Amino acid sequence: MSEVIVITSGKGGVGKTTTTANVGTGLAQLNKKVVLIDTDIGLRNLDVVMGLENRIVYNLVDVVEGNCRMKQALIKDKKYPNLFLLPSAQTRDKSSVNPDQMVELVNELREEFDYILLDCPAGIEQGFQNAIAAADRALVVTTPEVSAIRDADRIIGLLEAHEIRRSHLVVNRIRMDMVKRGDMMSVEDVKEILAVDLIGAVPDDEQIVISTNQGEPLVGNESLAGQAYANICRRIIGEDVPFLDLEIKNGVLAKFASLFKKN
Amino acid sequence: MSSPVILKSNRYGINLVLDDEIPFDELKEGILLKFREAEKFFKNSDIVISFEGRNLSKEEESTIIDLITQNTTINIACIADNDPQKELFFKKKLDQHQTQSIPNSGEFYKGTLRSGQVLSCESSIVIVGDVNPGAKIIASGNIVIIGSLKGNAFAGAKGDESCFVMALDMDPVQVQIATIIGRSADRGPFEAIRNRRHALDPQMAFVSDGNILMEPISKNLLNRL
Repeated sequence: MSEVIVITSGKGGVGKTTTTANVGTGLAQLNKKVVLIDTDIGLRNLDVVMGLENRIVYNLVDVVEGNCRMKQALIKDKKYPNLFLLPSAQTRDKSSVNPDQMVELVNELREEFDYILLDCPAGIEQGFQNAIAAADRALVVTTPEVSAIRDADRIIGLLEAHEIRRSHLVVNRIRMDMVKRGDMMSVEDVKEILAVDLIGAVPDDEQIVISTNQGEPLVGNESLAGQAYANICRRIIGEDVPFLDLEIKNGVLAKFASLFKKN
Repeated sequence: MSSPVILKSNRYGINLVLDDEIPFDELKEGILLKFREAEKFFKNSDIVISFEGRNLSKEEESTIIDLITQNTTINIACIADNDPQKELFFKKKLDQHQTQSIPNSGEFYKGTLRSGQVLSCESSIVIVGDVNPGAKIIASGNIVIIGSLKGNAFAGAKGDESCFVMALDMDPVQVQIATIIGRSADRGPFEAIRNRRHALDPQMAFVSDGNILMEPISKNLLNRL
């Protein structure tokens, strides 16, 4: 029996897809059986970020409409045999699927997988409704900016209204240099405003851009962002992991220090 | 033989259907008779009244009203113009009347209002929780927030300027009382967060001289209410 997690934010561009890709891959690294579902119909990009674009034959809408079997649509990851992707359709739009169909689809997958991650589109309309329909819990992603926080607050309210009470916060793209100067909100500030438990804080990292463009999630590697995502995965499976000290600068000495400081 | 006065009533009001040919004095007798019968049903209630079937002058209407109030325990809340005479219409009038005459009643809500949520109430309201930016609380009466007000509050929604908004931590985006709107000082939303006061600063917002005024809550202020 699996845990169904929706990754949502309200605001676009804060890192939902990046988080889904990295958390999914990280859980697979911990030997869990994971399926990622891209629910952004019409504007899919989870497949691009995972580097699996050229392997897509069937998609989510095909499964819902009965054009293919689930097994035909699921794509196995390049590196991890226990990680699968159910891509979205690029040529349809969000009205092609309704919440009930999503629930049915997810239920079909529950037997086989330990974790089902749903990458939610931005907004609060049909796409969002579809994505949260079958979820047991939510990861709400936000950046430390007022506009993203407003939207995250709205989303948390909507999640509560839909009876999804287990929501955890991911604060993404934190820049400690700006926080110290007082130009950016700290993780504590965001946590206090949204009043939701924190599951991880990911620093802004150039490596993310590189990894996205190459289609290879960076979770688990030596970059700070990679470490942060790995810690989030461990917290999801129930481990109690102390939060990273994000103030480590990316100098040569610091790289050595973090290699020794493996935890 | 048709009766000169017919009472058509619902729970909230009475429509008097009057014969328009008989002389006024006879009409008065008919009305008194009918109302004595109706009194058992409407004893001590507030009702709305309307007239149909006969054009009455203002004096005649007054006379009839006096007749009813002096001879029965029925309390006429107001006179309604002819149409529409549906139950809903009477009820609305009655609700307004009743809310204005019970200023000390209110509703209670426990929980935080998140962005996009709207809480609306017909009387006063006490919220135990926060009102986040993007959330709105609308009340016909007063608003008391045991928590932070960071969103929008609209008190006196039916036009009552004597209503107020009180909060343990007063930091609203906008406060409206009746038709007067006050907005927060122009500063980026980030500054508001950065300069967050960690000590509570209970304040009250009320109308003074056509503007919204906010003052720290003190005995003096409460006495002035």
